[in-house]
Amino acid sequence: MAVKQEAPVRVDRNFWIVTLVLALLSVAAVAYWMNAPVAKWLPAASDSAEDVDDLFRFMAASGSALMIYVLGYLLYFVIAFRAKKTDAPNAIGVQVHDNHTLEFWWTIVPAVFVVILSILSVKIWFGIQLQPSNGLVVEAIGHQWYYSFRAPGVNGEIPNEIHVPVNKQVTIDVTSTDVIHSFWIPQFRVKADMVPGLVNTIRFTPNTVGRYQIICAEFCGTQHGEMNKQYFVVDPPATFATWLKGWQIKNANVSDALPKAGSGAAIDLSKGVAASGQALFAQKCSSCHAIAAFDHKVVGPGLKGILSDPNHPNLVDGDPATAANIAVILQKGYTGPIGMMPNQSANGLSDGDIANLVAYLASLK
Amino acid sequence: MAVAAVHTSGGIADHIHPEPQGFIRRYVFSIDHKIIGIQYLITGFVFLVLAGLLAELIRVQLMNANGGFISPDTYNEIYTMHGSAMVWLVIIPIVTGGFGNFIFPLQLGARDVAFPWLNMLSFWMFPVAGLLLFSSFLLGAPVAGWTEYPPMSLQGGVGTSMWCVAIFLVGVSSTLTGMNFMVTILKMRAPGMTFTRMPLFVWAQLATAPLSMVATTALAAALAALFMERQFGIPFYDPARGGSPVLWQHMFWFYSHPAVYIMILPVFGIISEVLPTFARKPVFGYKLIAFSSVAIALAGFMVWAHHMFTSGLAPYLQLPFMILTFTIAVPTGVKIFSWMATLWGGKIHYTTALLFAVGFLALFTFGGVTGIFLAAVPFDLHAHGTYFIVGHFHYVLVGGSLMGIFAGMYYWFPKFSGRMLNETIGKWHFWLFFVGFNGTFLPMHWLGFLGMPRRVAEYDPQFQMWNRVESVSSFIMTFAILLFFINMFVSMRNGKKAGPNPWGGRTLEWMIPSPPHYYNFKNIPTVYALPYDFSEPLPYKGLEDELNDKPPAQLAGAHH
Amino acid sequence: MAVASAALDAQHHEPVDQLYAETRDMRLIGFLFFLFSDVVLFSSFIFAYLYLRNSGQGWPPQGVPRPDVALAALNSAILFGSGATMHYALENWKHGKFFRYAGFMIATIILGAMFLTGQVVEYTALYTKEHVTWGGSGIFGASFFTLTGMHGFHVLVGVFYLITLLLQSVHGVYSKDKYFGLTAGTLYWHFVDVIWVVLFSIFYLI
Repeated sequence: MAVKQEAPVRVDRNFWIVTLVLALLSVAAVAYWMNAPVAKWLPAASDSAEDVDDLFRFMAASGSALMIYVLGYLLYFVIAFRAKKTDAPNAIGVQVHDNHTLEFWWTIVPAVFVVILSILSVKIWFGIQLQPSNGLVVEAIGHQWYYSFRAPGVNGEIPNEIHVPVNKQVTIDVTSTDVIHSFWIPQFRVKADMVPGLVNTIRFTPNTVGRYQIICAEFCGTQHGEMNKQYFVVDPPATFATWLKGWQIKNANVSDALPKAGSGAAIDLSKGVAASGQALFAQKCSSCHAIAAFDHKVVGPGLKGILSDPNHPNLVDGDPATAANIAVILQKGYTGPIGMMPNQSANGLSDGDIANLVAYLASLK
Repeated sequence: MAVAAVHTSGGIADHIHPEPQGFIRRYVFSIDHKIIGIQYLITGFVFLVLAGLLAELIRVQLMNANGGFISPDTYNEIYTMHGSAMVWLVIIPIVTGGFGNFIFPLQLGARDVAFPWLNMLSFWMFPVAGLLLFSSFLLGAPVAGWTEYPPMSLQGGVGTSMWCVAIFLVGVSSTLTGMNFMVTILKMRAPGMTFTRMPLFVWAQLATAPLSMVATTALAAALAALFMERQFGIPFYDPARGGSPVLWQHMFWFYSHPAVYIMILPVFGIISEVLPTFARKPVFGYKLIAFSSVAIALAGFMVWAHHMFTSGLAPYLQLPFMILTFTIAVPTGVKIFSWMATLWGGKIHYTTALLFAVGFLALFTFGGVTGIFLAAVPFDLHAHGTYFIVGHFHYVLVGGSLMGIFAGMYYWFPKFSGRMLNETIGKWHFWLFFVGFNGTFLPMHWLGFLGMPRRVAEYDPQFQMWNRVESVSSFIMTFAILLFFINMFVSMRNGKKAGPNPWGGRTLEWMIPSPPHYYNFKNIPTVYALPYDFSEPLPYKGLEDELNDKPPAQLAGAHH
Repeated sequence: MAVASAALDAQHHEPVDQLYAETRDMRLIGFLFFLFSDVVLFSSFIFAYLYLRNSGQGWPPQGVPRPDVALAALNSAILFGSGATMHYALENWKHGKFFRYAGFMIATIILGAMFLTGQVVEYTALYTKEHVTWGGSGIFGASFFTLTGMHGFHVLVGVFYLITLLLQSVHGVYSKDKYFGLTAGTLYWHFVDVIWVVLFSIFYLI
């Protein structure tokens, strides 16, 4: 066999010209993406949405720079190093196997990039996932194929749309009564799955008044594609107060007067009336709890026997199931590793309401 | 000649099965890894046609914002079956069972896989599972997507249970194949074929096999539990009875994330073979490419929950999964850079296989970049469950895996059949596919970002224009695939004769006739070095008789 | 095969043994891989069990007693004893002591059968006394009966496997040098033992 003709290729001037061109293009791409008007394409209506957009811009900038280099070099190599008609049929390329310096750098540079991206993402993640609640909690419950809502101090569920005040942090507790749905508002760049038996939380501060479409992004059956007809409305504070008051009056048929926030002190349970508790339960509790055995879960566990069965499991906070402990959880709410229970004082229950509820629970044998 | 006869040790290397007789033993219940490989390819391509047609029904439906072509329920069945079939009946069987079976024992210098009979059994589970899956259309196909999240998947007809059984069967098949390949690679390498002399396609299969073995078994458990819950009412996933829907998500993704690597690692292997052959250059950074496959495979087990950032995963668990997922970018980047460096300074021959390999590099890199976007929890909370993610994984699975499969087909078809595929049709195939692909899947990224959720039979009218662009592009893509099938049918009969080594390849499969004899090698060769040094003589000894008419010594009996 | 080995016999001293040695290694590794994927199958269900158990419903769930540790401990002792007899069976085979081998094999089979009987007794007691069932007792019934049932099925298969091996060895399928089947059987039996250690700990002890 004849000696093969090896291509005498070195890194030549063309390579550096191409590299320079690609560098200029990348700089242009980075410059474009770092200032890309993302909010023009899709309005960002909360501070954390703007943070997510910053992260998106950073990733798009670095991603497009990488793509420009990869595509540019691919194109250049494929054209510059094509086999030509003048080559001998057995001509071969330059026989390099590796280059440790090069390999070192193209391992280190992505690794450094990963570190930077991690730091950025974690920073933004803290702002989104770990901000403490300031107390305004609304609830959204997924059904096939609509959402229903609950708002502080409003008995029962609110259909169609939920209102919140602008520039005030809101916590949305989401769950579902049938299959998994999701609660997505693109303008806030947040989404949480609504999982039956589980309460997930979204927290952000809307900064722009408006009506925002809520979209289901988790397949939930035949009409999944139509589960986008309801709105999350951000009002000026006064409008919100009017709206809330309207619902509080409209649904205020359980307690004698408008519910007032609880005192926070230990509740006297001796005056609880089971019958009033039962009515309250139907309004306030039954969308999440069944009157059934403990493992019959709707969102939370079934409550039958919670105070009469000596072997009943402990409460969600780990304390034994006693009347006093239940009252504390209702009054203060609890979030822990195995689940959460919304604060019912914030939900409009007075101390007397809680006493009635506990009396009703004690009557369940 | 004295050297050539070195290692007649009397071991497995000298053991030749008797030649199978009759059509059934030869082509149907064959135990020959090459025939089984071709059976996998053909079956896989049949399912590609079916799953591709389902995809076109999806695209036709989405031409109009308010749907109207098929009912939402039918639509849900169709996209579920499209996803399930593409993952389990097309890509996984083709890249492991198809290319794996046919190519890597040849590259290893083995006469067959370790357990040929088991190999046949694995194959036959696959068409049975496929038939079962598609026949669920008759009884109400599953609707909850290829991920089948309960409680959705607990509802509905018997079709979902058939889905469970079918996927369970493909899973068992995949597990057995993984074991078979592992033992083959560990124990049946030709003399001198150390691990660091193995072709990169073999390395890719070595990285994939444990994934098939371990992850698939975990999926089998999840499927068994879903099946028991559906058929016998055993509460695992239903929250109303104490179960947990999130449990399924953990078990499912513990399999399905590694499954992504099952679908892409063998394709990495294909690319690593195609590029050096047509650049006439050693693959750049052999060891780094080989080890990064293994690193990706291992890391693949530790990132599953990045599919569950919106599911209610405890916040402190989100961070490690996010950062580990970012980390996978490093070995993946190393591979892409090494392949690009392989092209640098080459003598590049513009064959269709090379075009597909280069197309793979472009599209897969893009899919990788959007993967980083989705790994970042803050962005994922926005993009999860939208068309952004649909665009992302089609770039990886179609732009990556399917492009790689086409590269592999144009490269190895001569070895499979003894005839060349038509290069002119091939180039039409490539360009139409490339253009159609980008037109179909690129707009999905901004549609998803702007608010279009996935798995919907109708959508907001503001997205209609781009959806029409996508649908039209997808017709182009389908036409390109049609050209590919025409090419195969025409070339099988009338293609140019290939000869043993039409491309000047240097791995062992090119040293023997096309198609190879049922015993592969007359004498098992001895290997002295890596195959990719184009300036060196071939690093094999003992191949002198492969291309002449002499029968192998074992069959020649006394004439030896 | 006949043709090939005839040709090989002509030129080598022990050609068949070389083939046996190589295929034995392959079968051994393949068998270990099989056991490993079986471990993954059990691990997945164990993960499911621990996940459900810690999903905030208390354990054992309302209306379900703790399983009977005493009976299970006795049953465990029987199974571990069978692991020992299995070990001695193989050792005796290696040393060519056929009758002691057969004795230990039979002992293993009987102990395996006793374990299964113990399990049936336990299931029956749970059902008749406490009305605990597979599908009707929430996540306890689901995880307990699925996991112990899967294990019991493995023991059952193992008992028939050992009977087959015993009959094969009586018919001279294995020799003093070639007994891969017996090695595989022993590995399988020890594997079933180890799985039980885990199941016993997670269901009865914690």
